[in-house]
Amino acid sequence: MINNSLKKIVQFKLKWLAKIYLAENKPYVIVISGTTGRIWLKDKIIEALKERSFSFGANKKNFNAEIGLPLSILGLPGAEKDFEKWIKILWKGLKSVIPSKKKKSPDYLILEMAIDHPDDMDYLLSIVRPNAVILNGITAIYRENFESLDEIAAEYGKLIKALPWNGLAILNTDDQRVKNLANNFAGKVISYGCEDGADFKAFDIQKIFDGQQFKIEVQKKEREIFTKKINRFGKHHIYAELVKEVIKDNFKEQQKEFFGKILDMSTD
Amino acid sequence: MFSRTQKINLSPIKQIEILASKIPDVVSLAQGIPSFDTPEVVKKAAIKALNKGSVAKYSLTMGLPELRESIEYALAQEGMYYDFEKEIIVTAGSIEGITASLIALIDQKKDEVIIFSPSYTSYAEAVKVAGGKPVFVNLLESEGWGIDFDSLERKINSRTAAILFCNPNNPTGTVYPKEDLLRIAILALKKKFFILSDEVYKDFIYSDPLQIASESANYKLFSLAQMPEYRNIVIRFFSLSKAYAMTGWRAGFLHSNEEIVKEILKVHDSLVTCAPVISQYAAMAALDFGGEEVKKFSKEFEERRNLICGRLDDLSEYLSYQKPNSSYFVFPKILGNKNSWEFALDLLEKAHVAVVPGVAFGPSGEGHFRVSFGRSKEDIDEAFRRIKAYFESQPKPILKIIPKKVKVHTLN
Repeated sequence: MINNSLKKIVQFKLKWLAKIYLAENKPYVIVISGTTGRIWLKDKIIEALKERSFSFGANKKNFNAEIGLPLSILGLPGAEKDFEKWIKILWKGLKSVIPSKKKKSPDYLILEMAIDHPDDMDYLLSIVRPNAVILNGITAIYRENFESLDEIAAEYGKLIKALPWNGLAILNTDDQRVKNLANNFAGKVISYGCEDGADFKAFDIQKIFDGQQFKIEVQKKEREIFTKKINRFGKHHIYAELVKEVIKDNFKEQQKEFFGKILDMSTD
Repeated sequence: MFSRTQKINLSPIKQIEILASKIPDVVSLAQGIPSFDTPEVVKKAAIKALNKGSVAKYSLTMGLPELRESIEYALAQEGMYYDFEKEIIVTAGSIEGITASLIALIDQKKDEVIIFSPSYTSYAEAVKVAGGKPVFVNLLESEGWGIDFDSLERKINSRTAAILFCNPNNPTGTVYPKEDLLRIAILALKKKFFILSDEVYKDFIYSDPLQIASESANYKLFSLAQMPEYRNIVIRFFSLSKAYAMTGWRAGFLHSNEEIVKEILKVHDSLVTCAPVISQYAAMAALDFGGEEVKKFSKEFEERRNLICGRLDDLSEYLSYQKPNSSYFVFPKILGNKNSWEFALDLLEKAHVAVVPGVAFGPSGEGHFRVSFGRSKEDIDEAFRRIKAYFESQPKPILKIIPKKVKVHTLN
C-alpha cells in the first residue's frame, strides 16, 4: 500500500533486484497459477518438498503480484506506505544480490502468480520465468477486468508458453480450458483431476465425518492405486493432494541435481 | 396485522442510544462499538475495489469466492475445517447469519430456542423474528456466570430447536470452558437440537494472573466447530465488526456442514441477496493483513478492562462485579437490587452517562447494567467520575453485598 510514484520506483527496483537474484542463483521455479485454490496447492507442494528434504522459498499469502512477487523471490517483507522501511527493504534486497553478502539461496522457489488485468502476466513473466507451472482452474473470480473466461485462459497460456523445453506443465484437466492449454506446449505435461485420462486421478471420493477419503490412480508404466484420507473438506483439497503426489513423483533427489545441471547448461 | 412484530422490541441498547443522543455532553458506554477506526489496510483495499469498479454488482449469494477461501484458510489456522465452496456463507454481520439460521431451523414442531440469561439482547428478538419462542436459562453469577446445567436440562424438550449462545459471552465476558461446551454438544446430539455459537469476541481474551499460572501460554478459545463429530449440529458465527473495528461495514460469516448451509443459504438469499460487496473486499483485506491490528486492539482493550475494573473497585460500596476475561464489557450488579431500567434512565438523566440496563440481556440481568470498555480511556474516566458523583448523591444502599471472588474457568 504505497502511493503511486513511490510504488513505481519500488516496483522498478524490486523487479531488477529479483532478476539479478534469479540470474545469480538459478533456483528451480515452480509457479502456481489459476483463479482459485492456489494457497492449498502451495501448502501441499511445500509438504512434498519438505518430505524430499529440498530447500525452498515460497511467497507469503497474497505476495503474488507486481510488488509481492519480487519481494517473495528476494525473501523480503513488505512495508505498505512507509518510505523509510522501503529504503531498508531495498537495501536488504541489494545485499541479497551482492555475492560477498548474500545468504545461501534455496534450490526451489514456489511462487503464486495472480492476475487481475489483461497483460498482467507479461509483467510478471518479465521478472521470472518458470521451470514448472501448475494450473488449477479458471473460474469467474477476476472476470470483471476480462472480456471472458477464454481471455483469462489465454493469459494463463502465456505461462505455459514461457516454459523452457525441459519444463513441466502440471494441469488440472477437469477444467477444459486448462486442459486445452496443453496443446500449446511440446514439453512434458502431467495431468491431474477426477476425470478419466488424468495421469494422477482421484476417484471413489467419499465425504466422511472428519474429512474425505479417496483413491488415487497414477498412470505410469505400471498402474498404481492407493487410498488417501484427509481431514479437509472440498474438492480443492483433493486437487492439492494430487499435486503433492505429482511433485513427490517428479522431484526426486537425483532429479534435483539433474535439473540443476540442465539449468547450468541452458544459461551458459 | 403486525401480530409477529408487535411482540418484538427495538433493542434496548438502541433505545438508550437514541435517548442519549438528545443529551449534549453525554458519555456513552452503552453500545458495543470499538473506539478505533477500521485499519488503514482494510480501508485501502475497499477503496481499491471501489475504484476498480468491482463493487457495483452483486457477488455470489454465498459471497466472493476469494473471500471465502481466505475465511477457510483463517478457520483452518484455528483447527476448524470447512469447505469454502459449500460450507461458508458471508453474511451482513453475524446477526443476519444468526437470524437466517433461526428462520431455517425453526418450524411448527420445533420452535423453542434456548438462550442464556444474561446474553446479547438481540438474540431473543431474532428468535421471535424467526417465529420461535426464546427460552431463557439463567447463568449463575455466583459461579462466574457459568452454565446452570440442571436448569438447562429441565428446559430442553421435544420442541427445542436450538441453543444460541455467545462465547465469550456478551455482557458478562464469560469464556465457557471446554467441558461445558462438550456437555451441551452431548445433550444436543441426544435431544436432537442445533447449537448456534456466536464467537464474535474470540479475539479479545485477556490474560489473567491466575489463569496464566494454570494454563501457561495455551490460552485460546475452544470452539465446538473444531470437533468434526459435531459438524452436523453446530453452526458457528463470526463478525468482522468487533475484531477489526468494522461495525459499520456489516461483514461476517457463518459456517457449518454442507447440508445445513444449503438450507440457510435460501434464507440468506431472500433476506439480503449477498453481503455488501465493498465490505466483502474490506473483509478479505482484514483477514489477510489485519492480524497485527487485532493484537493491538486486544492489548488496548485489556488495559481498558484493567482501568474500568479499577474504577469499579472504587465504587465497591455501590456495585459488585465479576472481572471479565474477554470481550469488552463488564456487567456490574447494583447493590440494593435496583430496577435496572430505572437506574439506567436515572443515570442518563442525572449524570449524563449512558449504560445498558441489565434486564435487556434477559431476566437474570435485572439489577445489573452493562458498560462497554470499547470506548476510549478518556470516556471511561469521565463516565466513572460522573457515576461516582451520581452514587455519592444517592441514599446509601440498605443491603451491602461483599464482592465475590472471580471464578476462573479452565480453557483448553
